[in-house]
Amino acid sequence: MSAMRVDAKVVMLGKESVGKTSLVERYVHHRFLVGPYQNTIGAAFVAKPIQVAEKVITLGIWDTAGSERYEAMSRIYYRGARAAIVCYDLTDSSSFQRAKFWVNELQNCEEHCKIYLCGTKNDLIEADRSLRQIDYHDAQDFAEEIGAQHFETSSKTGRNVATLITFFLLFSILKTRDCFFFVSSEEAGVDLGQKKDSFFYSCCHNN
Amino acid sequence: MSQRTERRGIHVDQSDLLCKKGCGYYGNAAWQGLCSKCWREEYQRVRQKQIQDDWALAEKLQREEEAAAYASSHSAHSQSTAAQHASVGHFSKFEEKKTNEKTRKVTTVKKFFSPSSRTTSKKEIQEVKAPSPSISRHASFDTDQVSKEFVDFLKNLHKPGRETYKQCRAFLLNMSSKKVCCPPETITVSISYQNKETFLFRQDLGADELSECVQDFYQNLADRLISHFKGSSESVEQVMDQVEKYIMTRLYKSVFCPETTDDEKKDLATQDRIRALHWVTIQMLCVSMEEDIPEVSENVVKAITDIIEMDSKRVPRDKLACITRCSKHIFSAIRITKNEPASADDFLPALIYIVLKANPPRLQSNIQYITRFCNPSRLMTGEDGYYFTNLCCAVAFIEKLNAQSLNLSPEEFERFMSGQTSPQFSSSDSDWPCSESGLGTTVTNPVLVQLNHNLELLTGLCTRQEAVMEAAQSLQADLLTWSDSVQQEVHNILEKYPLEIISKVSAIDANTDNDNLPSPIKPQVFAD
Repeated sequence: MSAMRVDAKVVMLGKESVGKTSLVERYVHHRFLVGPYQNTIGAAFVAKPIQVAEKVITLGIWDTAGSERYEAMSRIYYRGARAAIVCYDLTDSSSFQRAKFWVNELQNCEEHCKIYLCGTKNDLIEADRSLRQIDYHDAQDFAEEIGAQHFETSSKTGRNVATLITFFLLFSILKTRDCFFFVSSEEAGVDLGQKKDSFFYSCCHNN
Repeated sequence: MSQRTERRGIHVDQSDLLCKKGCGYYGNAAWQGLCSKCWREEYQRVRQKQIQDDWALAEKLQREEEAAAYASSHSAHSQSTAAQHASVGHFSKFEEKKTNEKTRKVTTVKKFFSPSSRTTSKKEIQEVKAPSPSISRHASFDTDQVSKEFVDFLKNLHKPGRETYKQCRAFLLNMSSKKVCCPPETITVSISYQNKETFLFRQDLGADELSECVQDFYQNLADRLISHFKGSSESVEQVMDQVEKYIMTRLYKSVFCPETTDDEKKDLATQDRIRALHWVTIQMLCVSMEEDIPEVSENVVKAITDIIEMDSKRVPRDKLACITRCSKHIFSAIRITKNEPASADDFLPALIYIVLKANPPRLQSNIQYITRFCNPSRLMTGEDGYYFTNLCCAVAFIEKLNAQSLNLSPEEFERFMSGQTSPQFSSSDSDWPCSESGLGTTVTNPVLVQLNHNLELLTGLCTRQEAVMEAAQSLQADLLTWSDSVQQEVHNILEKYPLEIISKVSAIDANTDNDNLPSPIKPQVFAD
């Protein structure tokens, strides 16, 4: 078999050097959920089987080139994607504008694609609050407006990365009813050495 | 056989069943009462005769036309007649082809009602008409090989295997039968493409419809297989892979780059486009590969080979595998250069660069073929799918490429495109846009640079060789004169100081010259 079966396709979108690849790397190399990971030489395509409750789901994570010169082609990428993780840099306001552009594109072309808005490089903000250029509440408002989930992550510390992917699984694959079961049974697995995450619960309550 | 029929109460005379030629074997109504062997012979004879008749007719026509032409241009000299002769020859050949087709149509209706005879007729035609018989034979060998493998594979599956095979056969026949029931003018078209494949389509069936047929078939078969294997997706996929291989190998010739689409036009456009963009450098695309590193350049070469190889594969999956291999090589090249895993930000530009370098043959046709006939589950999600999508992006980028996407000014872009100037390759620094383009002597192509360099080396070697030769010769001369001079010197010395042997001196006689010498001390006795 030349390639393994993939159940769901996830596209990473975002401005260049916003940290898409690091996010994937962080997620794949940190085995916070059961199952061996399989990655290619590059981090551009990753197929990762994940045990969710009693099902094994293989995620195919597609990295995309963020450079503006390729933006005309991005439509080819997200054809048939189940979810898109739109990344922006918390310390770079232009990247948030680009994220808005992608969200717009996605809504026009791929209406069944679930959008996840993801602010990256949270560790930089924690180190120095003045670096923040995107207000959390602004982003949250935008996310609510487009019906997306919103997270602020750090690939360096692993903050929220697991939650992000977990939520993807919750909403794309399982029915909403199953998610509480999933959270309770897998909570031990979602351990990246971080404190219990407030967003984690708040998001659940929102639903 | 006769006994059985007798038991049923229908009397058939034994002699009626035998071959009409009386060779002792049983005949068949489909072969006009002949046995298979005699039928083939008979058929061959008829066909040969027909071909000869056609030739004769064509020759006759040609002669008539020639005579007419000769009569009309009576005074024309030999040269123009020769030209006319040639053109008439062409025309008569065309005529002959036409009559051939006419007679064939008739015979198709009259005689070829059994499937076996239909296939033989095609083989005949292939042998007669195929311009390159070796190629078509090779292709049919391929298909035979694939059919055999497919059957072997399905044997292990017992019942579902048999059923799958049946369905595939039925599907292929269904696809080809569309030709049989089509109007006569379509037959004419298909006959002129005889050398393509055994399975032919209505030429007016659009590529999208063909694709739909194949995709529907995949879908139905996969559904059935899932119920057979009770949801074991692994084995279903295995079977589907084999089915795809079998079907697409059989259909390849007729569905790859079909006449009904403008694939071929697009192929040529893309090819020209890539050719026009030959001046694009690795720096313009911001590719993080350094071709100076031998390992990297090795990977680049391999990637280029893989993407070119894609065209030679028949099965969509094999084509995808070529793209994947190519991509893997690009990834290794990037990793070696950057010393860290590559992301899509590095990969896509690199792939664009490779496509520009390789200019793969029939790129658009291949992409269309894969999109139309590949098993969709693989194409949309898996790893192969990812690389394929990237390739599509690369092609789209190349098509839309403008000055802005290369960080060039429009004027520079225009100048490069028109071939007036080209960026300097020798200066591989970041300041690639050559502002000193006025210099006519700038060497542009890296190959040329290498060539010039080698030439310089060779000239250098040549002069040094000459110097060495000169030195050697002078050394030889020196050696000769040296030995002469040594001889001369020795001679001179010998002359100057001739050898004299003075024998007297040699012995001292104590008695002869005692006057010069003091008297020897004599023992004295001192007496007291």
